[in-house]
Amino acid sequence: MAGGGALKAERSKRGKASKRKKMKRVSYHLDMTPLVDITFLLLTFFMFTTTMATPQVMEMSIPPEVVDQVEVKESELLQLFVREDNKIFYAIGNEDPQEIELNKIQALAEVENLREGKRNRLITALKPSNDADYGIVVNILDELNMAEVLITAEISKEFDEEGNPKKRERRFTIAQMSEEELEKIKEL
Amino acid sequence: MPKVKKKRMGFVIDMTPLVDITFLLLTFFMFTAKFKSDAESEQKFVIERPKVTADTSKVPDKDLAIIKIAVDSVTTDTLYYYELLNEADRNEVWSLTKSVSEEMKQKAQLEVSLESLNELVRNTKMIRTETVFAIDADKRLRFQYVWDAMDILRKNSATVFNYVTEKKGS
Repeated sequence: MAGGGALKAERSKRGKASKRKKMKRVSYHLDMTPLVDITFLLLTFFMFTTTMATPQVMEMSIPPEVVDQVEVKESELLQLFVREDNKIFYAIGNEDPQEIELNKIQALAEVENLREGKRNRLITALKPSNDADYGIVVNILDELNMAEVLITAEISKEFDEEGNPKKRERRFTIAQMSEEELEKIKEL
Repeated sequence: MPKVKKKRMGFVIDMTPLVDITFLLLTFFMFTAKFKSDAESEQKFVIERPKVTADTSKVPDKDLAIIKIAVDSVTTDTLYYYELLNEADRNEVWSLTKSVSEEMKQKAQLEVSLESLNELVRNTKMIRTETVFAIDADKRLRFQYVWDAMDILRKNSATVFNYVTEKKGS
């Protein structure tokens, strides 16, 4: 190449007179094209086969089959209904159900769970209609889970007789809607 | 007048930065790549998972049994599928289960009816009690389908299970 040519010319000019040994500079070019080819091929392969968003999970626990019914105070019960058109209703105790927006559930759960007298005792029951979407049910569960953050923080600020911070005991159940309840929210 | 010699332009592009960045990306994708399981590559449906706020809990990849509830893209029927990640357990459970045809048992993922789902869950519990169950259902489904699957889990005393979800905003 160019460098090599110049070197040669220089040497011939000097001839044998030159006693200094000159290091031969070797300039070389590596053809990177095949390397780039194969790298791109592999890159595209891995890019297309990889699954980026790995799914996550939401843990659920349902009550086991029990024969004996557990008595609960009605005033300590918060019920959430999902109608077949995906509208959500809530009822505290035996009050009449009221409609509620999905994004207001978190605030509702926080207020009700921390209300004096029901603090840490409230039972939340989610009763979706069989024809409601599964997606909306999971969204409600998500809202309730988010509410837990504040509730747990608030409750752990209190102390029991022994001076230990109180533990949040979450009481939640998921159940099928009864006929009666279905009738009740039908007209709302 | 002599002809003007056309100057031949020979040029070399320095590919080094290109190769650098390509290798960087390649190694990144190679290390993060997680291939689809046998069952996933077989299946012909897409599950649109419900989107929830970010959570740190990822799908456990050991001893997991997944009940998939999906809508078939062609017939629009709602179907149940059962998948067991542990291969040794899978073979045992498959051979124990009588309500699934031999032809079907070649697959990593079974298309099942509610009755055989019950049998499969029971057998899975029998083979390995600590198996974690997950329900992977499409968010557009009626809740009834999910409830039925949950009922089966409850009957087989698998009262703690997971819903497979997706991170919101992704």
